[in-house]
Amino acid sequence: MINAIMALGLNFITGVANQFSLGSAGFIALGAYTSAVLTKEIFRNWYFIPLTALIAACVSGIAGYLVSIPSFRLKGDYLAIVTMGFAEIVRVIFLNWDFVGGARGYNAILKWPDFSLAYIFTGLFLALTFIILYHLKISAFGRNLWALNEDEIAAEVMGTPVSKSKRTAFMISSFFSGLAGAMYAHNLGYISPGSFGFLMTVNVLIIAVLGGLGSMTGSILASAILTALPEVLRNVSAADVDIRMIVFPILLILMMIFRPQGLFGRKEIWEIKSK
Amino acid sequence: MNLKPLLKIKKLNLSFGGIKAVQDISFDVHDQELIGLIGPNGAGKTTVFNMISGFYTADSGDIIFLEKNIQRLKPNQVNQAGIARTFQNIRLFGQLSVLDNVQLALQQKSKIAWLECVFRTRQYLQYEENLKSESLNLLKIFGLDTFSKDPASSLSYGSQRKLEIVRALATKPKLLILDEPAAGMNQAETDDLKKLILFIKKSFQLTVLLIEHDMKLVMNIWVMKKNINFIIKKKQFVLILMRLFGVFLKKEILIT
Repeated sequence: MINAIMALGLNFITGVANQFSLGSAGFIALGAYTSAVLTKEIFRNWYFIPLTALIAACVSGIAGYLVSIPSFRLKGDYLAIVTMGFAEIVRVIFLNWDFVGGARGYNAILKWPDFSLAYIFTGLFLALTFIILYHLKISAFGRNLWALNEDEIAAEVMGTPVSKSKRTAFMISSFFSGLAGAMYAHNLGYISPGSFGFLMTVNVLIIAVLGGLGSMTGSILASAILTALPEVLRNVSAADVDIRMIVFPILLILMMIFRPQGLFGRKEIWEIKSK
Repeated sequence: MNLKPLLKIKKLNLSFGGIKAVQDISFDVHDQELIGLIGPNGAGKTTVFNMISGFYTADSGDIIFLEKNIQRLKPNQVNQAGIARTFQNIRLFGQLSVLDNVQLALQQKSKIAWLECVFRTRQYLQYEENLKSESLNLLKIFGLDTFSKDPASSLSYGSQRKLEIVRALATKPKLLILDEPAAGMNQAETDDLKKLILFIKKSFQLTVLLIEHDMKLVMNIWVMKKNINFIIKKKQFVLILMRLFGVFLKKEILIT
């Protein structure tokens, strides 16, 4: 479910607005550390976790907005590199910051008292993320983003405030990445800079692409599949050989060959017509 | 006719590196006029359009629209000021529905905050409803309302051109700029287009500036040329051509 929130956040900027961002992990880390520090230093009770998660999300959102001001002068690949650079900067800062444990990681973070509570709250936040992003996707604001996705020049000529819309979208996207980060921290109870590397961004991106860029339900379903699949494949392992790590990538490759637009393309699950 | 021009272009210059794309162009467009810009390939017609609509900033010179200098505005600000344009190669939002294409253009006139979209306030729902009905009305005028749910890229070529014009109209411009609207059309489609342009001009009280080689369509013509020697010949050629077609021209100005 945490993966789903992360993927939804990224999907909004990459799928709907077509701005290729590789900075997810940076915002997730920012959210995770903010919420972890807040619960450990100020609010020492799990009741405050939803609150600190929202604060963490806001911090990420603001950071996202600040990053977007210079970086959205760039397009496509260049934007991806700049956002990737940002994620690395965040990671290296946490790596060298002794207050949050540096490379040792930040441990003994306040956790949910029991698993079902963690489940409920994460589920609630996922629902919230989904509802907000879906509403935005089909709204007038979403239409601006779809338009600049399709043809930026035409959108601009029609009077769309292109750069403003992009910045807002990026802010919203990083807000939810931060939220996911906070959830991540409180579920694991331990975070280290190492886990917020480029690989995390790639994982999130794979989910978003597999579910279909621009499809919110697609992201949720894909994250469920991609999280469950390695566990299911565990049973497939033949004798001593662990073929899990071979089957899994092959499935991904086949998926991309036969449905390059992802599971649902741009549509939501209820918009799909049976052939 | 107003004495003050709606759009005034003064001594516009633009060069890309060593190539002077546009040199000392000046012309006026008055209210309610239908004006054609003609000239051979590479004369800089589209470049002038791109400068008016804000994609290029001229090296020197002024573009004055409604007595305001719009030379340094961005494309979306130019559109807000009241100039809408279409492109030589159609630029629709292909995967969006026909209705969405028009709604997008229409919604820029009245802003709504994205937070209202999140919370689906009553104001927002009302706003969306107005947007939809207004867009449908506009589509109905041009007979495109039956396709309103189809993706724009599924329309025929002629309808796509039409939709692009409708979309430009949806931004409620005072000046409509059409870049070769008849490109790639056959004779019948071009005739339809002519009627359409005249109809739009009349019913929306618009001023139209277009790049078009079909001179029967336009009231006034500016010819853009680079080489001066060539211009004189070209001018004579154009004049001969016009006489052949029996076209009556109120005025004719050559841009060098």
